[in-house]
Amino acid sequence: MMNKVHAPQLIGLVLVIFFTLFPFVYSGNDYPYIMHIFITGFFYAILASSWSMLAGYAGQFSFGHLGFMGIGAYTAALFSHYFYLSPEPTNFCTEFSLGDSYLIILNPIGVTSSTLAQDCLKQAMEVWNGSVQVSPMPVWLGIVLGTLMGGFFGLLVGYLVLPLRAAYLALFTLGFAEILRAVISAEISITRGQAGIELRHMFENGITLFGRYYAQTDKLPPYFVMFFLLLLCLAILALLARSKFGLFVRALREDQDAAAALGVNTTRYKVLVFVVTSMMAAGAGATMAYYIGIVSPNNIVILQMSLVVAMAVIGGVENFAAAAIGAIFLEFMLEMLRNSFQIGPVVVDMTTWRLVIFGILLMLTLRFSPKGLLIPAIEYFTRGHVAKETVAKRGGESMDDASGVEGEN
Amino acid sequence: MEFPVIFWGVLVWMISWGVIGSIVTRRIYLRKDLDTSSTGMVGAMLGASTGPVGLVPLWMKTPQITNKMMAFPALASVGVFMIAFALADPNNLCVVSGSFVASQISNGIIIGIIYGFMALGLTLIFSILGVVSFAHGEFYMIGGMITYFVTTVWFPEITPLFGIGIACVSTFILGAVFERLFLTPMYTGKIGRPVEYGILITFGLAFTLQYFVQAVVGANPVKAKRFFDFPRVRLPSSADPWLIKTSRGNLELFDTISISNPRLTAAVMCILVFIALMYFLHKTWTGKALRAVSQDREAAAIAGINPDKMNMLAFALGSMIAALAGAMLVQAFSWLPQVGAIPAMRSFVIVVLGGLGSIPGAFLGGVIVGLVEAAGTGCIPNAQQAASYIPAYGMIVLILTLLLRPTGLFGRKYSSGTHGNV
Amino acid sequence: MIELDVKDLNKRFGGLHVLKGVSFNIKGPELIGLIGPNGAGKTTLTNVLDGAIKPNSGTVYLNNERIDQLQPFEVAKAGLGRTFQVTRSFRRMTVLENLYVPALALGTGHNRAEIHEKSMEVLEFLTMEHLRNEFAQALSGGQQKLLELGRLLMLNPQVIILDEPFAGVHPSLMKIIYRYIERVNDQGTAIILISHQMDSIFSLCNRLLVLNYGDLIADGHPEEIKADPAVIEAYLGVDEDDVVEVQA
Repeated sequence: MMNKVHAPQLIGLVLVIFFTLFPFVYSGNDYPYIMHIFITGFFYAILASSWSMLAGYAGQFSFGHLGFMGIGAYTAALFSHYFYLSPEPTNFCTEFSLGDSYLIILNPIGVTSSTLAQDCLKQAMEVWNGSVQVSPMPVWLGIVLGTLMGGFFGLLVGYLVLPLRAAYLALFTLGFAEILRAVISAEISITRGQAGIELRHMFENGITLFGRYYAQTDKLPPYFVMFFLLLLCLAILALLARSKFGLFVRALREDQDAAAALGVNTTRYKVLVFVVTSMMAAGAGATMAYYIGIVSPNNIVILQMSLVVAMAVIGGVENFAAAAIGAIFLEFMLEMLRNSFQIGPVVVDMTTWRLVIFGILLMLTLRFSPKGLLIPAIEYFTRGHVAKETVAKRGGESMDDASGVEGEN
Repeated sequence: MEFPVIFWGVLVWMISWGVIGSIVTRRIYLRKDLDTSSTGMVGAMLGASTGPVGLVPLWMKTPQITNKMMAFPALASVGVFMIAFALADPNNLCVVSGSFVASQISNGIIIGIIYGFMALGLTLIFSILGVVSFAHGEFYMIGGMITYFVTTVWFPEITPLFGIGIACVSTFILGAVFERLFLTPMYTGKIGRPVEYGILITFGLAFTLQYFVQAVVGANPVKAKRFFDFPRVRLPSSADPWLIKTSRGNLELFDTISISNPRLTAAVMCILVFIALMYFLHKTWTGKALRAVSQDREAAAIAGINPDKMNMLAFALGSMIAALAGAMLVQAFSWLPQVGAIPAMRSFVIVVLGGLGSIPGAFLGGVIVGLVEAAGTGCIPNAQQAASYIPAYGMIVLILTLLLRPTGLFGRKYSSGTHGNV
Repeated sequence: MIELDVKDLNKRFGGLHVLKGVSFNIKGPELIGLIGPNGAGKTTLTNVLDGAIKPNSGTVYLNNERIDQLQPFEVAKAGLGRTFQVTRSFRRMTVLENLYVPALALGTGHNRAEIHEKSMEVLEFLTMEHLRNEFAQALSGGQQKLLELGRLLMLNPQVIILDEPFAGVHPSLMKIIYRYIERVNDQGTAIILISHQMDSIFSLCNRLLVLNYGDLIADGHPEEIKADPAVIEAYLGVDEDDVVEVQA
């Protein structure tokens, strides 16, 4: 009995060990490619699991989740692109003195050819001619700011959607993501529109871990950063689910008014769940931005949201661990299916067809296995004993079965 | 913009007084024991348009709120906004050229009719199935695609009406099949949470359809050529046709308003189909059955109507309407597999604005959204910027509606199966 | 000493005046029946007391604390609980979890173990302890009703409003609900009982409030109420003999 109940935990542990050891053990030629898939998988896993907490657990079917991811990514990008520290003032840029140094803010020039209009920092650098060392903002600060910004917008959106139910909430949050994308695309002078903003890499100068040096292009450090972030998010989600927060948001999902009549501050918890999950999405976005090195509004499109939804649903929308595993697995599948092949004279372009397969899988899962593909397995292990116990107790009862009301409720 | 301070300043003023008006008006009416259902909206509109000057008399006299009272402040707010814009950007084309504005308005109305028609399909689906079809935009896209292929690629000799017809029939069948396979379980009690399921499954369908079409057809934009040429009309005289002047692809009214052929024919077609639809809904048995189910599912069932068949009909019909809109517009716009996303969003906004389940609401909402978009794209000189903001306008309308008047202009709150529990 | 003071409650929905200056006062653990024809405003009154709807005018004081402008969850924490006409259990949570929610929401610093113990006590009283790990949706309709009553208990309420607890209930189950009402009242909780089951009302309650389309037309002992002509005309019905006379 003990083993059965704990099977999911054991499998989880096995997976964690697998992912921890993998980078050190795998030595195929496609090492960077496989690592990249996993990093992307972890990224989607954070998004899928946080979304599953929001939608599956708390019942808030928000389609704006990628918007929060974008806020995190763009905050980090804008911060990294526009702010610098310098020991000397430039006299060209807006700047503030900060102790010994100066905080320099670049002027927004949008997308231009570099020979025509240089930004103020470049002009200053020309004057200094290499004598002054300007340092960009630290990566961790960008990630923190991105996460906080995501939380702020989560707070805002959480309050705005308070009176909204189901379809209205979905529409509103979808609209929020769309407005965000529109603004980012349109304000080209600040955000460089479709051209995107580049960021410095997470480990620009490489990093030395346990005696081994990893260069900027090495996949191992970002892999573990993303993996760690995923584990952190899952741990937070697990803690929340076990606490009264978890109980309250589930009650919220089941029946918001009944929960309120029983003393649950539904406002507070509805907003809180938005804040927590949006911070996770934003943090993932900021971190991913530093890994990929560039952000663009095309990451916030409906396709991404649909992928996250599909991953969560296929994994199991009411269990964030299942959603996370579903995400990693599906990301892998997506990549594996990337190659086109030929059947006779017809070239099957898998880049698009794999998405079609994905969509069909999503619909079939929803229709025939609504709890996802992983949750039924988990439940089999953890709840199998409950039914047996109830039946046993009932068999020994003297009172006729307790059904007192005609018809089902 | 020359004087952005004026514009943004007025906007902040309007929003602040709108918020004050909304909150305080409600409080005052509540304290006086009066009906508070529309106070939010009236207070907000009056505050935004007249500030304290209009609000204080309202607060002192607290008159009964009628529909007229709601319309005036809303129009006044729009007026104030337009004046502020005019003062802030006096050289803008929208302010300077009357004929430009007239053109924009008429184009806005015409395209608004088409939007409203598409939204009609969505509202039909919602009022009978209780589902917001997130796949509505994809049916629009498919309608256009099928029409393009039939009229331009496969059978260019046959009248375009054939292509449109094929598009309608195929999407009707597609909608019916989808409903049978994936939506019926919602009503047979197999699904625990039907509302969320409806959202997710139609979302999934949208995703699948879009990429299916892209996989089959490719991602290159296509466009059908004009379906019907205008006859040559010159009024009142051939030499001086200041009233109506047509070329094959364009209609010009009063020498100032220019309306393109595809849009006009699309709008006319939509109106004709709408009339047919109204006839169907009100004069035929099936149509009446549909309306019965939309009002109360269980009561209709007791009366002998099969609600499940009505579901299938409603979904197929509603999706077909979207396809028809697409079929008509493929001659006007460049068509891509992604082309359905924005019209889908727009339909949602219109349906919320007009009120879920309301047919006149869908049209009025469509026209309003059409006008808003025309203003937004016409008055922003930077074309790229203007185009990027298009989805945002709809969302702003959505947010305003949800904040001020969540039931929409003509809405009723409940769809048929819910008996008051939305 | 519990005191619920309701003064002059008015509520309009558009043109419909649903509550017209309703006033009454409850002191101590009374067991009061609230009766009246359908649509008389009983559930609206409940919603106003509960905080789900705000009155247009009037005040409600619970133990000298004004509660009419509070949110429902604040009202629940202040000590007033209610059930719904249609049972609204948390369907995909277990029975125990259903009971935990209000206890945790109360936030009085009890730890999980104490809350669990109290939940088990409540379940034993309702003879449902074998169902403790079942999902609420697996329960029969009657059991779900009992669960709702159990949830109320976890709130340690001072006043509870039971909205049609006997509706469509099997006689043996009715006995349990009956016992529940008596016992909870004995333990010191005031109860307002909304029901059309006149037998139960007359035997349980020693005071009746009669609501007739927004007006509180009677407030007193059941015997007085039974004889009150206004009440008879509005709700209880005319004697058979009179009807026969009219027809002749």
